[in-house]
Amino acid sequence: MTEAQEELLSELRETHGYKTQTEVVMDALESLAGRSSASFGSKLSHGVEPHEREEVMRKVIATASKVDEIIDKHGKNDSQLIQILLEIQREYNWLPKEALLWLSERLGVSINRIYQIATFYKAFSLVPRGRHLVRVCMGTACHVRGSMTLSDRASQLLNIDPGETTKDMRFSFETVNCLGCCALGPVIVIDGEYHSKPSTPELEKLLNECA
Amino acid sequence: MAKRIGSLDDMEQLRKRIVSGIDPNKTMVTICGGTGCQAYGSDKVFQAFTEEVKRQGVDVEVGVKATGCHGFCERGVVIVILPEEICYLRVRVEDVPEIVSETLVQHKVIERLTYEDPQTGEKSVKESDIPFYKHQSRIVFGKNRFIDPKSIDDYIAIGGYEALAKALCQMTPEQVMDEVKKANIRGRGGGGFPAAVKWQTTRSSPSDVKYVIVNCDEGDPGAYMDRSLMEGNPHSVLEGLTIGAYAIGAHKGFVYVRQEYPLATENTICAIEKAEEYGFLGKNIMNSGFDFTVEVERGAGAFVSGESSALMSAIEGRVGEPRPKYIRTSVSGIWGKPSNLNNVETWANVPLVISKGADWYTSIGTEGSKGTKIFSLVGKVNNTGLVEVPMGTTLREIIYDIGGGILNGKKFKAVQTGGPSGGCIPEQFLDKPVDFDELSKVGAMMGSGGMIVMDEDNCMVDVARYFVNFLSDESCGKCVPCREGLRHYHKILERIVSGEGRESDIELLQDLSDVIKDASLCALGQTAPNPVLTTIQYFRDEYEAHIKERRCPAKVCKDLISFYIEPDKCKACMICLRNCPVGAISGDKGLIHVIDQGKCTKCGTCLDLCPTRFNAVTKLSGEPVPPPPLKREVTREKGSEQ
Repeated sequence: MTEAQEELLSELRETHGYKTQTEVVMDALESLAGRSSASFGSKLSHGVEPHEREEVMRKVIATASKVDEIIDKHGKNDSQLIQILLEIQREYNWLPKEALLWLSERLGVSINRIYQIATFYKAFSLVPRGRHLVRVCMGTACHVRGSMTLSDRASQLLNIDPGETTKDMRFSFETVNCLGCCALGPVIVIDGEYHSKPSTPELEKLLNECA
Repeated sequence: MAKRIGSLDDMEQLRKRIVSGIDPNKTMVTICGGTGCQAYGSDKVFQAFTEEVKRQGVDVEVGVKATGCHGFCERGVVIVILPEEICYLRVRVEDVPEIVSETLVQHKVIERLTYEDPQTGEKSVKESDIPFYKHQSRIVFGKNRFIDPKSIDDYIAIGGYEALAKALCQMTPEQVMDEVKKANIRGRGGGGFPAAVKWQTTRSSPSDVKYVIVNCDEGDPGAYMDRSLMEGNPHSVLEGLTIGAYAIGAHKGFVYVRQEYPLATENTICAIEKAEEYGFLGKNIMNSGFDFTVEVERGAGAFVSGESSALMSAIEGRVGEPRPKYIRTSVSGIWGKPSNLNNVETWANVPLVISKGADWYTSIGTEGSKGTKIFSLVGKVNNTGLVEVPMGTTLREIIYDIGGGILNGKKFKAVQTGGPSGGCIPEQFLDKPVDFDELSKVGAMMGSGGMIVMDEDNCMVDVARYFVNFLSDESCGKCVPCREGLRHYHKILERIVSGEGRESDIELLQDLSDVIKDASLCALGQTAPNPVLTTIQYFRDEYEAHIKERRCPAKVCKDLISFYIEPDKCKACMICLRNCPVGAISGDKGLIHVIDQGKCTKCGTCLDLCPTRFNAVTKLSGEPVPPPPLKREVTREKGSEQ
């Protein structure tokens, strides 16, 4: 680390309570063991009001326990990394940062490798996703029967582009490269329910039914 | 707890016991539980049947079973009543009480639920009389309809695991290998590589640990036969895998299932547990001394992970990127050990070869391609679904005899085979027999079996752009020719479909194709030019229309079309006006509707919703939109509309 970087780091520590990754994880370890009441990961709780700190801390510790549970199920082996990540994704509907840091520490796998996997595969999301997942199939069979139009309409109705989440966290919208139900195309899947070629008014109704 | 099967005799007795418990004359309602039918509510239909037979007091005489995919997805929910083989299509929950009281109790056929030929109006009651099924030979896929995927006994009842017993108890691994070699099974995943050659390589590679893998990472858009097999008949795949492992000398197997197929994962895990109970998997299988276990690995969503070396690194828990294959995965695969990978359908063919023999198997198919192939016949065709035909069946037979021709009486334009690695085949080649070798001669390939039919309303430049978009999205980015080549492809094609194409673009695309083809690391890049090259070769006029006339002949490419309401047809019914999502349509009751071209986002809602009896909305391309009429009042003849 250069002198300038060190200086910057200490400045961050002083002003924002910033800590390095190892410190974040050490804190978490100690918190879990009940040895320390120190706040877990000040970077994670950065920007959090003092009265909310305890709650944030509790949430982080709960996440870490959940990750432990998942690791125990699959075995503490780095060949299980993708399977473990899939399960974390299923649990939270995205990959929370604290879960990944904790996983990295527990499996002895660098956070780089975890991020490489999390960004490579489409099943993973590094940002929170909405309560309802809307997916339009972009497979060839759907394409030739007008999935582009369907996707544009969904985009317009939801007022977001594919890959985005509405501000109220109600919907996440994605396009996917073939869901394997090609005979029904074009297909839109809302929370796991398949719908074949809905018209605009039908689509609007389906979306309105999602609370 | 099921009894462990220790010999061929045990196996035969078990089968007899299971069969004797089934009354062949008992009425059995089989309900398709494939993805297509599920989307149409097959779960609810199944539940309704279970309740209704009880309510009407025939639950002793009638069995109800949810099976895997029957194939005729277009007409879901599909049910077949055995033993009469009465096939009802498009069954909804509301139809269930009537089916129970009329057909199950009084043995009367309900005409409206049977198949009616759209052209001749002829009705078919029996499943095997329906043209869609009649012209198929479903030796692999046809078992789906008799089996509850969660019941191993159902599979054993129709002869399941007999091939495994035969292989382990009566044959040496060499004999199994010879039989598969003689049958000349070729890889159904798309490559068409002889399975026995691959097996032999893994077998002869020096190592005490070897692996066998089922590739169920079916990523080709437009193909879903592996899903339907894995979901509907997982035991047939496991049986084939175990026989292969025996021949190869592997003791550990993996089933790699893509993330989008949760039901396939669930059913495979269930099948493994059941097979272990009978001792078809585990230690000392059927007292042969052969040990074999299977594990399910879930994919996480990456098309390129279906490539063998990429899939293996995904199993290792790493990023699923391909590696150069100077040393094949059959020699050095998972954790550097010899690993034999075949696709779902290939494994499902193995038990057939062992139980019925290579001579029987090679009597089906063509010179170089033996057996059958399952295709997913989709797109603009009347009967969409999964079809299994002998290799060598012509495209015309598949699309017209089985598929019932083109949707809405439109004109056939092309059929796209082989997924993103394949090509578009025009009308002049419709009489080509479909097998591994013939389609390659016209620049396409049979591939994994996706068959997407396109009609006159599909733009071939848009199709090429679609595939390039797909591939550049899915390219892992490891090698430059694929990553950058596809990006440039995409840029050029985007330019053409938006009307900015240059005269030299077609040649540029062709030049670029040579580089991508020759220099890419894996098959994704090497075959990526196929969709572009075949569309240029057979539909060059469409490219030229886009470039030279800024016109999309099929009226698909958004930047080159306009929606227009024909004033003399518009009846000012307000439907399009009310539903336009951007409020681009002006008019009123009695006032002809006009689209504001500046506001229009070309979503097509107006075209979809305009009542067919008016048919007033049309698409224009390559011509200016006529100005709004001066007189906008609708003149209605007395007694006409409304």
